Amino acid sequence: MQFEHVTCPHCGILCDDLSVEVSESTVTPLNVLHSQCTKAFQQAGFDNANLPTPQIDGKESTLQMAIEKAVSILKNSSQPLISGLIADVQACREAVALTEKVRGVIDHANGPASRPNIAVMQRHGKVKTTLAEARNRADNIIIFGSEILDRFPRLMDRVLEPNQSLGSENTVNKKITIIESQAQPEKKFKQNNINYLRLDAPNLESIIQILELIVHTDITPDEDDNVTKKLLSIHQQILDSQYSVLIWSTGLLNIASAEQTIQSISQIMKSLMKQVRCVGLPLGGSKGEITANQVVTWQTGVPLPVGFMGGTPVHDPLLYNGVDMLKNNEADALVWLSTYSSDDIPPNTDIAKIVIGHPGMKVSKNTSVFIPVGIPGIDTRGLACRTDSVATLPLQKIRNNDLPVASDVLNKMIEML
Amino acid sequence: MAIKLTGGEIYDPAHQIDGKQQDIYIVDGKITHTLPDNQKVTETHDLSNCIVMAGAIDLHTHIGGGKVNIARTMMLDDQHQHPHPGNHICHSGNGHAVPSTFTAGYRYAEMGYTACFEPAVLPVNARQAHMEMADTPMVDKGGYVLLGNDDFSLSMIQSGASQSAINDYVAWILHASQCIGIKVVNAGGIHAFKFNKRRLDVDETSPAGVTPRDIIKKLSRAVHELGVPHPLHVHASNLGIPGNFKSTIETMAAAEGLPIHLTHIQFHSYGAEGDFNFSSAACEIAEAINSTPNVTADVGQIMFGQTITTSGDTMMQYFGYEHAHPKKWTVMDIECEAGCGVVPFKYRDKSFVNALQWAIGLEIFLQVNDPWRVFLTTDHPNGAPFTSYPHLIKLLMNRSFRNDAFSIIHAEAQKMSNLASMEREYSLYEIAIMTRAAPAKILGLSDHGHLGEGATANVTIYRKQDDIERMFAKPALVFKNGNLVVRDGEVIETVRGVTHVVKPEYDKSIEKSLTKYFDDYQTISLPNFKISNDEMAECIGSEVKIHPCTQS
Repeated sequence: MQFEHVTCPHCGILCDDLSVEVSESTVTPLNVLHSQCTKAFQQAGFDNANLPTPQIDGKESTLQMAIEKAVSILKNSSQPLISGLIADVQACREAVALTEKVRGVIDHANGPASRPNIAVMQRHGKVKTTLAEARNRADNIIIFGSEILDRFPRLMDRVLEPNQSLGSENTVNKKITIIESQAQPEKKFKQNNINYLRLDAPNLESIIQILELIVHTDITPDEDDNVTKKLLSIHQQILDSQYSVLIWSTGLLNIASAEQTIQSISQIMKSLMKQVRCVGLPLGGSKGEITANQVVTWQTGVPLPVGFMGGTPVHDPLLYNGVDMLKNNEADALVWLSTYSSDDIPPNTDIAKIVIGHPGMKVSKNTSVFIPVGIPGIDTRGLACRTDSVATLPLQKIRNNDLPVASDVLNKMIEML
Repeated sequence: MAIKLTGGEIYDPAHQIDGKQQDIYIVDGKITHTLPDNQKVTETHDLSNCIVMAGAIDLHTHIGGGKVNIARTMMLDDQHQHPHPGNHICHSGNGHAVPSTFTAGYRYAEMGYTACFEPAVLPVNARQAHMEMADTPMVDKGGYVLLGNDDFSLSMIQSGASQSAINDYVAWILHASQCIGIKVVNAGGIHAFKFNKRRLDVDETSPAGVTPRDIIKKLSRAVHELGVPHPLHVHASNLGIPGNFKSTIETMAAAEGLPIHLTHIQFHSYGAEGDFNFSSAACEIAEAINSTPNVTADVGQIMFGQTITTSGDTMMQYFGYEHAHPKKWTVMDIECEAGCGVVPFKYRDKSFVNALQWAIGLEIFLQVNDPWRVFLTTDHPNGAPFTSYPHLIKLLMNRSFRNDAFSIIHAEAQKMSNLASMEREYSLYEIAIMTRAAPAKILGLSDHGHLGEGATANVTIYRKQDDIERMFAKPALVFKNGNLVVRDGEVIETVRGVTHVVKPEYDKSIEKSLTKYFDDYQTISLPNFKISNDEMAECIGSEVKIHPCTQS
């Protein structure tokens, strides 16, 4: 059976123009332009007659027994961590309720990589745009780091190279500049209109610092300072353009200095806004980070990570960093929610693990409870938030099977706690 | 099974009942005035010394959508300084200016509100707005969807599309976004800001080739001809600019006699007189409302203290960012539809401008003669959080309290306002009009906002006391659809509420050109853009209740 307008939740762009063929044991996108986009659908191919069953300590169990076991682990835990959160809105809603009930900590699997954008928003605010706005309005695109095109394979055809636009010819044939350090391996691009600037600087972060200096001061470069000269021309290009969009992805920045780097990009845009339109398009959310953070923020009033130990939700990015909590043995039980891909397994840890996961997931032997659930967008209906935090896309149910729904499983656990 | 409410003083302006002592019954979630033969009273509430009103309705409060989450993120300190512990029935939460969703629902119910309307639903963000509202328990919800800065409607107006084609698009967007009204924010201005234009006056041609007047004219007619009960809900041009009262009056005129609602009109009632080139034009605005029967307005009163402003008006939010407190701001262009700007503000009584803004809001309340055409709002959270309503009611009902408050604001602002000379004190009947009967009427919620036979049993009961602020802050009892949900100002049972929508009839062939528009320019396909009733119930988490449109 063929389904149209299927949303792909496997990167933050959430393309929804897929035609997908569903047969007894395969799920095949028919019009995928990039091989990277097919992988997650291929993982969903399994025979309905042989659905994976829940497990307790590696042994098959009923769903009811698995839920009871999970509840008993959580009842005996003093500081549980609810993480993963690679899931749709409905499951994230229940994950928050579960965390509140057990007075635990909730954080996304990629929490540390999501934090810098949020921290800059908290301290300074942001200047942002969205995918369709960039597609139709932008005449000048600056991309920080070529790897962005690999991570978001359809950024080009969905946003940067439209066949037509609501704006002038310059918004159809956008100026596209990719900036990175020569420390990065040289890239080849299919498109010949890309201005590829590999600059003689130690890293991307230092390049962005120089650009910020140029925007904020009146700088005259030395004769042999080609980096500054090229960045001066980029600055001028922004001043000469109608609508410039700066694109970055936190996951591709040096995480230790990402907050400072994003703050610099933000300050660059805010300064330029005094004269021209220049806006940001941060890309991320390929593991449901945006969805999880939006739900947590509206339900608790603060962004991830959140601890409920004191009875009210508290945001503390250091204390409640899920990755560090596991590393430092600060949690005594882990609930891992991961429903989109079989690859997103929980981190290796000795504490009791409850995995509510993709049915194709291979969990480690020391997993206390594994409950395979339906894949949102294939087995269950769902909702997912896009990288720009504005659009929420529906995920269709395109296959019938008996796998339980993640949000129902979580809800049953809450009721029994 | 019937609930008997006996001995209370009823304030039900929809039926001209002004404080009459009368018994009412609740049967199957509805109001009745006589006990049906087949029913027995199983619960009686003695309401002697109590005031009985319908559940209150807030027709303009920013409680859902991306801008609210941005505000929550930017207000971390405020969130943590206002923790709300949960209990066996309520979720915990955070926040004063922009509370978490659960908290907002509980606080509204605890003040006797039973319905709230989010006035800035971006079409592409409608799912999120509805999800947040679905997670706002206790009250019914609804949204006004933003048009008038989207490339599709601007292009229709610019190219001279017929009124009926515009009507079809307006109806389509109401269906697709599951909303109850149409909102215009700074008509054409948000779009113009994307072209680096920093100001747009009512008769100025925008980069889209249209004027704000054209937009208001076409959209107010569309709403009227489709029979949508709520008039076009308009955030006028030039918000916050000294001298903007002229463009506000021009915006009223742009509707050419058709119904138009001017929202948070306090922010649009400024003159440019005096030593500080900033003055009150409340008198001119009130006079314009009094003499123009097609106009309604909500005030958007400011209160002193810390809050955060969230608006679709990127142009004017960017203009105001230098006044941000704390010093941070967010501006976002959105999806060829609109935008959003989020700027924290601290209104201070010792600031001349803030003090005069406070006085201007009250002057408008006191000078608009007809309480059916002026509504009690603070444009939550932009003027102040909604939790300040009881204080605002006291300012309106008690002249000496008001004048005491006036006497300590910035001295120059006192000189520029005639507030102290205004003798009017709102009555309970008038408060019931502006917070119950009138909002229900203007939204087309025929079974809400009153206590007549067959009305939905949303009932708020206040215990009479001298301090009107305390009275309105903590009702003795609140019934939502017949369920007792609040006792002595505290939630005792949680309920979900529904989403009120309208679905006017239209020519479905408009989807042909829309499909092409979505395929050519948008990054979402048209089928996924539309939200079905079924998706609202099953995924988003709120059932829709459809209200009729009466096409002219």
